[in-house]
Amino acid sequence: MKNSSSWIKRVVGAITLLMVAVLFAGCSSAKGAAKKVVHISYWHVNAQTQGGASVDELVKNFNKTHKYIKVTAKYNPNMYQGLMQNLQSAQASGKVPDIAQVGWAYTNYFASNFKYLTPTDAQNKFDSSKTFISKNFSKRTLSFAKDSKGNLVGLPYSLSTPILYYNKTMLDKYGISASSLSTWEGVSTAAKKIKEASGEYGLYIQEPGDTWAQQAMLLSNGAQIKKNGKATFASAAGVKAYQFYQDMVVKDKTALHTPWAQGIDDFVNGKVAIAYTTVAQASHIKKSANFNVEAITSPHFKGSTATVPVGGSMLAITAQKTEKQKAAWTFEKYMYKNSSLVTWTKGTGYLPPTQGALSSQAFKSYLNENPMLKPATSQIKTAVPWTSFPKNGLQAEQTMIDARDKILSGSSVQDTLKSAQEKINEQQ
Amino acid sequence: MNKIKENGWHILLLLICLVLLLPVIFMISNSFKTLRESYHSMLQIIPLHPTLSNYSTLGRQVNLLRLIWNTFFMATIVTLGKLVTGLLAAYAFKYFSFTGKRWLYFIFVSTIFVPFTVIMIPNYLVISKINLLNTALGVALPQLCDATGIMLFLKAMDKIPKSLIESVHIDGIPSYKILKDIVVPILRPSIISIGAIFFINSWNEYVWPTLILKDKSSFTLPLALENYISSEGGTNFPLAMALSTIMIIVPLLIYLIFQRYILNSISSSGLK
Amino acid sequence: MSSNSKKNRFLTIAYLSPTAIILLVFMIIPIIYTLYLSFFDWNLIAPTKDFVGLKNYTSIFTDPVNRKVLLNTVFYILLLLVLNFLIPYFISIIVKFFISKMQTSYKIIFFIPSLFSLVVGAMLFSWIMNPVSGPVAFFVRYLGVALPNWTNSGAMAIVMLCLITNWKVFGYNFVLLLTGLGSVPQNIIDATKMDNIPKWRMVWDIVLPLNKSIAFYVLILTIVQGLQYVFTPISVITQGGPYYGSSNILYHTYLNAFVLYKTGNASALAVITFLIFLVLLYLEIRFVEGRTDRYE
Repeated sequence: MKNSSSWIKRVVGAITLLMVAVLFAGCSSAKGAAKKVVHISYWHVNAQTQGGASVDELVKNFNKTHKYIKVTAKYNPNMYQGLMQNLQSAQASGKVPDIAQVGWAYTNYFASNFKYLTPTDAQNKFDSSKTFISKNFSKRTLSFAKDSKGNLVGLPYSLSTPILYYNKTMLDKYGISASSLSTWEGVSTAAKKIKEASGEYGLYIQEPGDTWAQQAMLLSNGAQIKKNGKATFASAAGVKAYQFYQDMVVKDKTALHTPWAQGIDDFVNGKVAIAYTTVAQASHIKKSANFNVEAITSPHFKGSTATVPVGGSMLAITAQKTEKQKAAWTFEKYMYKNSSLVTWTKGTGYLPPTQGALSSQAFKSYLNENPMLKPATSQIKTAVPWTSFPKNGLQAEQTMIDARDKILSGSSVQDTLKSAQEKINEQQ
Repeated sequence: MNKIKENGWHILLLLICLVLLLPVIFMISNSFKTLRESYHSMLQIIPLHPTLSNYSTLGRQVNLLRLIWNTFFMATIVTLGKLVTGLLAAYAFKYFSFTGKRWLYFIFVSTIFVPFTVIMIPNYLVISKINLLNTALGVALPQLCDATGIMLFLKAMDKIPKSLIESVHIDGIPSYKILKDIVVPILRPSIISIGAIFFINSWNEYVWPTLILKDKSSFTLPLALENYISSEGGTNFPLAMALSTIMIIVPLLIYLIFQRYILNSISSSGLK
Repeated sequence: MSSNSKKNRFLTIAYLSPTAIILLVFMIIPIIYTLYLSFFDWNLIAPTKDFVGLKNYTSIFTDPVNRKVLLNTVFYILLLLVLNFLIPYFISIIVKFFISKMQTSYKIIFFIPSLFSLVVGAMLFSWIMNPVSGPVAFFVRYLGVALPNWTNSGAMAIVMLCLITNWKVFGYNFVLLLTGLGSVPQNIIDATKMDNIPKWRMVWDIVLPLNKSIAFYVLILTIVQGLQYVFTPISVITQGGPYYGSSNILYHTYLNAFVLYKTGNASALAVITFLIFLVLLYLEIRFVEGRTDRYE
């Protein structure tokens, strides 16, 4: 009996509390309607080993300084491909994030399949002075983020280029000068020398789930990946570049063919003298190597100039409601402040996308501490957009990966490239 | 002669032990190395300069207790769900007669054979429609029953004489009481071992929780591990190994505590 | 009596409904939905789906990549049978009949790897077995041998990926089979000892036939679970490469669904996988579960 009466008391108490709470909530919402906190979510690809901590720091500071916006950051594993997968499932369920990093290879796919607010529209909608974009980004940088129709899809955020890392200790030992590595022919000669003298591999070119580095090689032989919306990489120049690469891997066995993670491990372990991979690996390589490691700009073939496609991502606003779009735009502008971008660069090894940050003192002194980033910075001025095919772009990328795999296992370069090109063009 | 032969077999078996345990040893050993040392003194099983820095970095970057609790909570819900639904269904299949039993059983068991790729996306849509994204319940709900459990319990129930159940049934004892007071006590070893296996599998689960859990505060250990694997920025191997070592503690404890049950009744329950 | 059967029917429904509802919502409806999608060309989010009839199915058997993947799947199955079924079976017979001590210690140790996540296993193995600069490569170099670059050959990559799953499931399957062997009546074994029948004859003629149903259960489990288990190492280490050389039907389904967004193709592949598994299920029920006596 005693038990039951205390039980009733508790229920009555709880109900009263609840009513009071509802009453208060009603009051406060009526009063503070104009200043409701807007929650937005930001999807990124930065693991703790690659800038995840910087993202957390940036978001924390933003939330501290912006009372009425609360940003939640969500890490998406497996880089831009993983993020796109999650975005796809989110879209299907109607619960998209408000702002997301979109990799360049996905520009056209994203533009034709998702609802988003272009930066130009965001600026027109929310800013009084309409100069944010033109003031901060160069024409070239903006061109990275345009779809096949020439519309700006998002704002360039992470920029990267492939650079040539080399094991200086090893090159010195075999009397190879770094300046000889400015052409692919020079790289090949050096690789041969190393193979003969030490038995180790001379070169590793990154082989992730895209053909970014291989495209850079083709471009630096004067080949074009795409022209007037059609694939054109099976040109004489393209075939020659790939043949050169295949010879190193298959015939001379001076270049290593292996998945990306293993390839980098092999370089760090001193089993490969030269590695051609993204600038984003710089800090990992520096922290892991126990030899002198340096980097120079991308090589080119004799008679051509070095041309690299830019890597990285843009920030796209996927929020649908105006208040969320506005919050996302505010957050974006905060992320493009010089100080934020330098924090970002330090954490990720990417290059800052804005003029201001590139020429800021903080970034310059960071460059001096990390000289391996310098070649990447100088390349960005001549970099071209990553080739993204307007239709069936993801299948097109897969076709190019398949062609690379086949060539490196010894298939005829001419035939493989030609059939890959035809397959892509059939779908355009 | 026989002695020599037997020793030969022992050498083979000890070799197998070594091969199976070597990766575990490498995991623990690397978790006490720096990134540089992990690359450059690979064959050094006992690190030259043992360091706790990986563990302290983890302690700074993630909330370990929270992660362990989240994983434990989720695995517990899933395990209890599978045990309860499995016992109930097995009981019904075993002791009740109804039309369409064979077919229903066939349909139930056939779900074991559904590859997860088939059901991932539709399930994601359902969970997000009922607003369970980011919750342990959202991860657990589609897994609250497992036809493997039904199958294993059904086989374990073969050990209980049918006449026993029938005789108490005639005495008018309600079936939930039979289940609680007779079946469950007899099946205790099976329940423990099947439950332990369910728990360990759920503890290590990776693909499905990635889809459902987006917020860091709801992460489980395997998702946190994902945070240290990056193709583009390079994987911090020793750090990942430190987290893996932390991750194995709970399954290992469960295994050591219930080892007798697990090893002796995985199959004596599972199989006649 | 009729009230009793009514009560029984109520109880039957009450006991079965939790399982039935969850399986219906999270298994059966999704399967039907997948079957439906396999007749369309769709990318998961476009507002329209194009009906293409059986095209997705015919392409599975005509497209060379799909054929390669199907062939790989057969190779995986054979290898998994050897590694995850035959070897554990052989070892369990050794432990049961050919040694006289330490059986429990072996059991305890063999089981330990099955406590690990396959992600951890895959990371560890790709590091240990790195053909150029891993510890094993270093070690065999001392002996003057070079490790073949297994990442460049589909067949070698498949072997390596199967070894990773073998590491995880070896102990589990071993314990299953060993306990099965324990149920062979002791008096039969003693009788053969009295008659001086060689041990291998005894195993071959008496134990193996008696243990058939358990063995078959583990065999089916090996295929069905093994093909799913191997998914994680594939995605961590090779992503199906080189040129689909290490892909199997499950990973290829995933690639089509979540990398290329060819939902229709992926669904057709999933349906085919399910059909293959159903055949195995039928065999399982025929051989392991016995006849109708279970329900009577």
